[in-house]
Amino acid sequence: MIRALRSYSAELLLVALIILAAIWSSQLSPYFLDVNNLMNSAAFFVVFGLMAFGLFPIVVQGEIDISLASTLAVASVLFAKLSVSGVPVLVAVPVVLAITAALGAINGLLVAYAGLPSLAVTLGTLGAYRGVAYLLAGDAGVTGLTKDYTFLGMSWIGIVPSTVVLFLLAALVIGVVMETTKFGRYSYAIGANPDASRSASVPVRQVRVGAYAIAGAMAGLAGFIWVNQYQSARGDNADGAILFVLTAVVLGGVSIKGGSGRALGVLLSTLLLATIQTGMKLANVPGTSQTLVIGLLLIASIGGPQLVHLVRTSVLRPRRSAPVGGEAGVRT
Amino acid sequence: MNSSSQTSSLLARLRLSGSGGAALRVRFIGVLAFQLLLVIVFTTLAPRFLSWDNAQSILFTAAILAMAAAGQTLVVLTGNLDLSVGSIMGLVAYVVFDVSSQAHWLMAFTVPVAIALGAVLGLINGVLVAYLKIPSMVATLGTLSVYRGLVSFYANAMEVTSGELPQWMRSLATQRWLGVSSYVWIALAVVIIVGLALSQLPWGRKLYALGSNPRAAYYYGLNENGILVGAYVGAGAIAGFVGLLLGAQVGNINSLLAFGIEMQVLAAVVIGGVSIWGGSGSVYGAALGAIVLATINNGLVLVGVQEFYRLLFQGLAIVAAVAVDALVQKRVLTATRRRVILEVAA
Repeated sequence: MIRALRSYSAELLLVALIILAAIWSSQLSPYFLDVNNLMNSAAFFVVFGLMAFGLFPIVVQGEIDISLASTLAVASVLFAKLSVSGVPVLVAVPVVLAITAALGAINGLLVAYAGLPSLAVTLGTLGAYRGVAYLLAGDAGVTGLTKDYTFLGMSWIGIVPSTVVLFLLAALVIGVVMETTKFGRYSYAIGANPDASRSASVPVRQVRVGAYAIAGAMAGLAGFIWVNQYQSARGDNADGAILFVLTAVVLGGVSIKGGSGRALGVLLSTLLLATIQTGMKLANVPGTSQTLVIGLLLIASIGGPQLVHLVRTSVLRPRRSAPVGGEAGVRT
Repeated sequence: MNSSSQTSSLLARLRLSGSGGAALRVRFIGVLAFQLLLVIVFTTLAPRFLSWDNAQSILFTAAILAMAAAGQTLVVLTGNLDLSVGSIMGLVAYVVFDVSSQAHWLMAFTVPVAIALGAVLGLINGVLVAYLKIPSMVATLGTLSVYRGLVSFYANAMEVTSGELPQWMRSLATQRWLGVSSYVWIALAVVIIVGLALSQLPWGRKLYALGSNPRAAYYYGLNENGILVGAYVGAGAIAGFVGLLLGAQVGNINSLLAFGIEMQVLAAVVIGGVSIWGGSGSVYGAALGAIVLATINNGLVLVGVQEFYRLLFQGLAIVAAVAVDALVQKRVLTATRRRVILEVAA
């Protein structure tokens, strides 16, 4: 029992923080705890949550993808264009998801096969895909979407918006994939030690490309939710969202160096960030100052444990003679 | 088979295949050739392109970018990144100009104050990366939003108008020295100073050492954290200075000054041949990369291509440059191995 609690300590901490944030938010505004408000606020974060779950397997593998928001923009513009030109939604969804998966796979191929650093690659495609989205959308963007492309944003299952249900389903699928499938186990193995995984005949390259393709598809799905919720698409959709997405992933206990982290943590941290941001909105904190808080959380979630470690080693064990090898403070 | 004759023939073959330095030189010449190609293409498409006035305007755009890229180079050489450069520029420009417009005696000190403020922001980045061991990309993505949040908090949706800037700063942007914009000369000075610091000071050599092999640098006894923090402080100080110049050029400064410029700065650095893996490249290359980017921006406008293509080209250029760097790095690595084998054999 205690061991189980301990292994979920990060998640428990997140739950505690969510409760604190909720209490704080309800102090700010009596409307916060209103069920309708909660549900509508949750729907707003579905897009970000989907991207976070797309990024999650990549970070587990020790890589990064900062181009996801641009991929989302491409997807949203494509959906809008297809809708305007009368393509049925049941055709558009698989087609666009396949395209965004291919965009993700391009990142993956450049990382896994050409051996380029994922940050540089996705920094490049961040600009390139955004450029593509702008080119497709034009200056004015695309409006006047047909109803089949937008009904999801205005439908509820019980009291829960269907977009939220969709997000929870997608999160569950990713979670199950990471826990039970070969792909998931390989991902953790690659993140922990890519060379050892290769030696153990893990198909490292294919698994990497797979993760990027999944992330692309998730960003495509997020783009679908986007047009459902906003009934329009522009080239600058979700610009800068990667801060929220990356923060959600690392705050959820997924090590940025790869090899560890659980879907539950990502879900909880998305919930926490959503609660905090909703609270700040209720308190009329301007948007850029909200990103300040999220930026601080991002830094704190990675720097905090290291700070504790530094303080502990310098206070409790002031004199340690000649550290050896991997412990020697060298970044590995 | 006689094994010694086999080895000697192998060694002879190794000797023939040249050194890795050539690959790096080719990389620099490649960028020059690309710039030349751009000039030729744009001149054919838009004859207006090749004129003294247009060259001036390209150099003026490149000046800001080249200075920011010089700062970024310090960090990239260590194998890290500074995504917060645009936010540092914006924060420093707004705060310094706002304060000096209220306290007029400060006007004389705007430049040192800006450099100092930028250095402090860089110091924070450096401490996060070096001591808290936060991957530089994540740490500076965090400070990118924190610094930008701070300036918008401070600015509170207000603007510093050009009338409130110190007179000499306002006129600096439009001044010409020897027929060329003052900013170009200042950029040249900054690039040369950084270049000399990298090649002449022990600190510069240590940056390269740390970037090319952190582990070896550690075992050699280099103070890796100190060097890394130094790189970030230098980058921050330069970013602060550039922010000031950009603010003086723009005139009306709001909290979004230099927003998103980190993409262009990184593109300039990477295109200019500073390896994203660290340890290789020069600030002169980065400056050349800035000129290439400025040329692309200017040329696309003259040719009448939509602004959006710029993002696309910029992104593709980053990927292409990194791909080329991967090849160059492979060459250098095999060349180094070869040299070691030859030395051991000799």
